[in-house]
Amino acid sequence: MKKNILLLIVLVFSLSSCIEILDDLTIHNDGSGTLRYNINLSSSKIKVNSILALDSLDGKKVPSIEEIKGKVQQFIKVLDAQSGISNVKVEENYTDYIFKFSCDFSNVLLLQEGLKQTVTAMTKEKNIQELDHNWLSWDGTKLSRSIPSISKAKVNELKQSDLDLLKTGTYTSISRFDRAVEKFDNSTAILSKSKQAVMVKTDTYSLRENQDVLENVIYLISNKN
Amino acid sequence: MHIKKIVLLSALVIVAFKSQAQKSEHLIPKDAVTVFSINNINLFQKISLDDLISYDFMEEVHQELFDGSTSGSTLKDSGLDFDQKLNVFYGKANKSEISGFTFGIKNEANLFKVFDDFDLLEDMSKNGVKVYGSFFNNLIIKGNNALLIRVEPTMEYINQVTDSIWYARGNESPFGYFEEDVESDEETILNEEVYEEDENIENETEEQLFPEASEDPNVKNYYELRDSIQLIIQEGQLDAILKELLEKNINLANSDVRFAELLTHNSEGVFYMDNARNIDKSNGLWYFQTVLPSLYKDIQELYNGNVILGDLYLKDQKVEVDIVAQYGRGLGEIYNEMNDSKFDKNILKYIPNNSSGYFSYNVNLRKAYEKAYEIIMPILNQEKNAQIAMNVLTIELLNEFINKDALFGTYKGSMFGSFNGFKKIKTKKIEFFYDENTFEYGERVAEAEEDMPIFTYGITIDRDDIPEKILNHFGRLTSKIQNKGKYWVFENAILDAAPLYMINRNGLFILTNDEDLAVNHADGYGKEKLNKKAAKRAKKSGFMYANINVAQTIDRFPMDILNDRQNEMIQTLKGKSGNLELLSSKTSVKQTEFKLEYTYQGTDPSGKHLLDLINSLYIVTK
Repeated sequence: MKKNILLLIVLVFSLSSCIEILDDLTIHNDGSGTLRYNINLSSSKIKVNSILALDSLDGKKVPSIEEIKGKVQQFIKVLDAQSGISNVKVEENYTDYIFKFSCDFSNVLLLQEGLKQTVTAMTKEKNIQELDHNWLSWDGTKLSRSIPSISKAKVNELKQSDLDLLKTGTYTSISRFDRAVEKFDNSTAILSKSKQAVMVKTDTYSLRENQDVLENVIYLISNKN
Repeated sequence: MHIKKIVLLSALVIVAFKSQAQKSEHLIPKDAVTVFSINNINLFQKISLDDLISYDFMEEVHQELFDGSTSGSTLKDSGLDFDQKLNVFYGKANKSEISGFTFGIKNEANLFKVFDDFDLLEDMSKNGVKVYGSFFNNLIIKGNNALLIRVEPTMEYINQVTDSIWYARGNESPFGYFEEDVESDEETILNEEVYEEDENIENETEEQLFPEASEDPNVKNYYELRDSIQLIIQEGQLDAILKELLEKNINLANSDVRFAELLTHNSEGVFYMDNARNIDKSNGLWYFQTVLPSLYKDIQELYNGNVILGDLYLKDQKVEVDIVAQYGRGLGEIYNEMNDSKFDKNILKYIPNNSSGYFSYNVNLRKAYEKAYEIIMPILNQEKNAQIAMNVLTIELLNEFINKDALFGTYKGSMFGSFNGFKKIKTKKIEFFYDENTFEYGERVAEAEEDMPIFTYGITIDRDDIPEKILNHFGRLTSKIQNKGKYWVFENAILDAAPLYMINRNGLFILTNDEDLAVNHADGYGKEKLNKKAAKRAKKSGFMYANINVAQTIDRFPMDILNDRQNEMIQTLKGKSGNLELLSSKTSVKQTEFKLEYTYQGTDPSGKHLLDLINSLYIVTK
């Protein structure tokens, strides 16, 4: 099982040259919210199909679509059972290879803990150091966020030879709130016209070169009014 | 005077015999099926041992050498005698696999600096033989020559002997215990991965997987028994090989005249592969061996004399390999008929001049079929087995009823292929778009481009009406298949994303993913076709020709589509520049000759190029 999970990660990141990742976090005033995480591999259909047609890649067994579906269902089941997490859904499109994950959470600490427990349970590895990193914190008026360390580690492993191609892959991070944003630290971020959402977008090449490029601290206007 | 002459002659014979017995090639066991014999190992003096042991043909001795003792050393420091041949061999018999190499020794002390893990097992000083052993291999030194050998009994044979003893002792099946626990092969593998890393699970799994066969700790369980048997068989087989080699003086060179003749060549290296014995030891024929022994014997006879012999020559910036494939009478007659085919000039129109790699293969399948029918059917007819008799009847009826003109007119057997690099091909993708006001997003279809390796494959055809008939019918069944006039297109045929084009013109049926070829060059590349010089070489070659620009083809070839073995083969050529060309002669009933030329640029020593090529050949033939 660990092999399968790792292979899925390898598969996703070996296609980073042409991947579109979107993470979309909504935080309500009470600290609860929704995380949506979309992976779009539709511009690499040929490559994905050719990899799935193989028995093994780099010495590791390539899972079949049925096996991937089984792991996704298992992930949903394990995550849904975590405290503070509900309504876990994964939409799977095996024609265009688009995967949309979403879940509701009661607070960001439980979300991070739930994800950590789920990955640990699925991989059966006790000490995944990258999971100790807290990539989200929320105090009611300020949201600090980055991307999970495990994503950073995998981006770091990408080959030098793929650098030019990496420029075509994108990672978009959106943070949404119930009230307006006052300011934010990341100079590359943009604010929506409604002033309630902040977006940071980068390509996978820049992410490899500067893994803090998606980090942001977002300050909201006071909700005392 | 007469007596003097006899004495002199006798002395010469003794000296000749002695000097012959002292050569490294006389330590090659007769069970070796594949041998690479390098005549001029001076070429390798400057090659570091670390580089040398990275080659696949050195894998069997890898453990001995790759332990730091060779670091920074070259072959020159290893005590080898560079005036002698270095022979690498491999062989697989029904009960064991042998591999290793033989070489001359100049400085034994230096040799043991490299082979520093060997202990003396037996000193047969009276025969001038010393036997050393390490965990994996055995080193036998006889005079100034050495044989490094590994003998591995086959698992099939070990299991057979183990089962026989296990059940004879009244034990029950050791495998029934697992049935409830094992979900599938894959899960077993995955569990293995897990228990390696988790102590608790490891202990638990060990208890489950290795049940004691008996309450008595002095009685071995199945796996312990099997390990012991493996060791005993291994020792027995090694002993038998060494007895044959050292006491009876039976070796490959004095058992096979073809190999002995090959050893007299002055090329830089020679190779030998006895296909007849490869067939003999092929696991795929076990059914015939056990169930239909007489048919197996007939098939074996068909393969008798089937051997591949080769010479490697090192020239200025070029390595040439001359290969002779010899056949026995039966197979030779079939190959002779099969390769009696005229080169189809039409294919040259469809190979672009800038092609990175292409091949042509001209055979006459109909003639081959008829000759094979003539030779093989009488063999099958002699069999009294009911299943074979039914198969013979089926083949004879098909032979009567099938329209062979139509069949072999549609697929004559000749073909060509080319790899024309990578091109961007148009595909569709889904992209996210964002609302500026809220950053909510939707999806839309957009044009995309993906890099795709461009392949073209075509067969010679007389009956172009038959594929046309098939495509017309399929075109009515699905809109994905469309007639575009000069070509047909099958949308999303390749990996469910890219179109496949079919060109049915000029006596060829061509499959390609190259839109440019289908749309703009359905009648050939015109002035952009293969140049005259290259075309002439292809035409002049016998039934087979191949030309590969190594840098453009091997380095860019999509490795993903190859299996592990093919991948391994291609990897050996990666990073090289130059050109590989394979030519063949006209086939006779006795043999076909091939010539492989590898021209290269760069400053790598020629010995390294030769080793690279030997390595590729080793992987191909192993």
